Amino acid sequence: MRKGLRIADCGNGRRIADGIWQIAKGVSGLREADFSNRLERRFATLHPCARIVLCALSLLLIRSPQSAILEAQAAPRGKAVYDKWCAGCHGDDGAGVGSAATYMLPQPRDFTKGVYQIRTTASGELPTDADLRRILDFGMPGTAMPGWESKLTENERTDVIAYIKSFSKFFAGKAPTAIAIGKAPSSSSEGLAAGRAAYQKLECFKCHGDAGRGDGKSAPTLTDDWDHPIRAANLAASWRFNGGSTVEDIYARLRTGLDGTPMPSFSDAVESKVVSDEDLWRVAQYVRSLSPEETPAVREVIRAGRVEGALPSSPADSLWAQAERYFVPLTAQIIVKPRWFAPTVDGVWVQGLHDGKRLALRLTWPDPSRSPDPAWDEWLGRVKQSVFEADGAVPVTQAGDRLVLQFPQRIDEEADRPYFLGGNTRRPVYTWRWTSNPDQATEATGTGLGKYVAAAASAVTHSARFNAGEWQLQLTRSLASADTTKSPIFREGQAIPVAFYAADGSNAEDDTRGSVSAWYAIYLDVPTPPRVYIAPIVTMLLTAGLGTMVVMQAQRREREHGRSNLEEYR
Amino acid sequence: MSRVRQALRHPFWQAFILLLVAYLFFKFGIAYLPALLGMHSAPVPSSVIMQYMFIALVGVLIHVSSDEARWRQFKEPVQATLVDRDKKWLRLSLLVLVPLLVGFATYQRTRPRVDAPIELRSIHPAPPGQITFRGKTIPLTGLENPLRKRGSMPEHLRTGQRVYYQNCVACHGDRLDGQGHFANGLSPAPASFADAGTIAQLTESFVFWRIAKGGPGLPREGTPWNSAMPVWEDFLTEDEIWAVIIYLYEQSGWQPRRWEAHGAAEEGKAP
Repeated sequence: MRKGLRIADCGNGRRIADGIWQIAKGVSGLREADFSNRLERRFATLHPCARIVLCALSLLLIRSPQSAILEAQAAPRGKAVYDKWCAGCHGDDGAGVGSAATYMLPQPRDFTKGVYQIRTTASGELPTDADLRRILDFGMPGTAMPGWESKLTENERTDVIAYIKSFSKFFAGKAPTAIAIGKAPSSSSEGLAAGRAAYQKLECFKCHGDAGRGDGKSAPTLTDDWDHPIRAANLAASWRFNGGSTVEDIYARLRTGLDGTPMPSFSDAVESKVVSDEDLWRVAQYVRSLSPEETPAVREVIRAGRVEGALPSSPADSLWAQAERYFVPLTAQIIVKPRWFAPTVDGVWVQGLHDGKRLALRLTWPDPSRSPDPAWDEWLGRVKQSVFEADGAVPVTQAGDRLVLQFPQRIDEEADRPYFLGGNTRRPVYTWRWTSNPDQATEATGTGLGKYVAAAASAVTHSARFNAGEWQLQLTRSLASADTTKSPIFREGQAIPVAFYAADGSNAEDDTRGSVSAWYAIYLDVPTPPRVYIAPIVTMLLTAGLGTMVVMQAQRREREHGRSNLEEYR
Repeated sequence: MSRVRQALRHPFWQAFILLLVAYLFFKFGIAYLPALLGMHSAPVPSSVIMQYMFIALVGVLIHVSSDEARWRQFKEPVQATLVDRDKKWLRLSLLVLVPLLVGFATYQRTRPRVDAPIELRSIHPAPPGQITFRGKTIPLTGLENPLRKRGSMPEHLRTGQRVYYQNCVACHGDRLDGQGHFANGLSPAPASFADAGTIAQLTESFVFWRIAKGGPGLPREGTPWNSAMPVWEDFLTEDEIWAVIIYLYEQSGWQPRRWEAHGAAEEGKAP
């Protein structure tokens, strides 16, 4: 009984847990000098029975005593895992400044502050163990953090979470609890309209932009708690959402906010009836509807369909709505100096059409800024401060945006291709190079990334349009070549190798700092030649004829054989 | 039931089952059975399957025709299908189905195809005997990692980790599986060091050559125009490369392949 009262004397859950653990182990000797704060003292003045009841209640709410002790034992084991697999980015001391820190944006989490973006707990609270575990297991899409489920064992992951928590003193307190999240209302077109209305009402557009492409007015000014520039998420690319891409994930982010970033929690808005809970779900559904349902698949061959009438004249032409869209992923140019570790553009959507005489390509890619734009000077300055610069100083002024397509100078399946990264002097590439400032597209010969010699007269025509955080560009050229030594003839029914390069001037990008693709192929559809139908018919007739002959011959032989047998019998 | 047993004893159906089993083995067995034992494998290309099947067919025919009685028995069902009155419908349906199949196969071959041109690529091409590293000639044959005999290993590992995380992690990934955050969209995909088919098969000198000279330093059979591997001699010192190699083997848990004692030059070549 005496010991029981001492348990009730303990102030917080952790110490109750420790007390019970010690009693369970038969160790006595908890001292009464453990009262440290006012709350605990007030608690101690309560009637003993009330204390016991309160403690018993709180025991139900907090984690079990064993888990607290086990965690204390797990942390040192977690250190070995952390030092091996995590320290390279998050640093030996967990402050998020490992070797790789300035080679990526967003930069690695600083564990010492106890501030976490992806939680199921209220804004300003610590994440639950399950929250940390989810990030550890599945990673953070859109950042450099991979999922570790396949690499580390169950025990290793439990241990490393205990160790990560030990970097911040805040985890010593009461374990946080997840907020209750209801169920999504079934989606409908009215629901999406309501979601759109709530999107406007909650002023999501201020950062995320009207079409959700992360191009809002405030987007260039956004920083995280560590003063690094941070993008307003492009809501049309759900596969890069840090906390997952389902409607439930998005709703959870709306309710909890992304701590450490400018993304607020809208729980208060729900409680104060600024927006109904249902409408917040509608916002989540609306946001989800901005992205394709599936993560776009990468296909190596881009088919350009044949049109009988006129080709589209601008990227806004309605004909483009019928042309198949191909997603070409772009990746950071970190191959030749100066490398660039924080590119804006991570993919281009490509469509192609031809009429037997000319080829038209439509390229669309998200870019929150129409560079150069003075509003983005601030952004560029912060990027310059945050990102590795040793390959050469990052520009201080904004260049225009650009998009470059490259092809081999001659299309020959037998010959070696030029180097995918802009060709070289030995095997140059033929390029279409578009810049936003001045708005022009030129044909040029490329002898290495960023090394262009423009053609005397350009045969490629263009039409560019910047629309709510997205560039839309149409490039058109005749299939015939003006100079076959420098530019290829595009033939129908032939795979034409093509590679892409994109740069965002407001993000300090230029002719070499930007994003690149591997080689892809454009295939100009041909009307199906008649032999495709004739050849199978001919082979079918031949086989059928041959089969009939074999059968007839076998039967004749059988008959003769039978007759001769009969004669013998006679 | 007895009909099934009878059929199983018949050479024609034995041959048929044998060929079917052989096909299933070539098509799926080779691809998936070693994986069950934790071994690395890959599907067999269809042209190779055709070759294997041809050999299997020849073997089966030799077997059935080696014995006069068996050969006669083997031909019986074929002959019966061709002539027997009660097999008229089977005969007719085969006369329709087989030409249809041939026609379909012809169509598959002649229809316009939109596959990208196939580029055969040798994953571990033969290394040169020596390379020039920033003007200095380094013979690769028989070359060992000099840092393993010099300086302190913890220091080399620290340097290696720094070099890896600043330069390699974006593509090869922190799990060493070739799935770094910038790996998406690269073709060929960055090498996975966790895979038993990469650094585990190579000498440290081979890895040094691949890092120092990168994609553009590949011989033609390695399709140098496609590889996104940078030429690291432009960024890293000789010792930094040797240090990151030590780190790679330590972190992945593999052992580098060793040179044989009597200078076997072929060792550098991995399968």
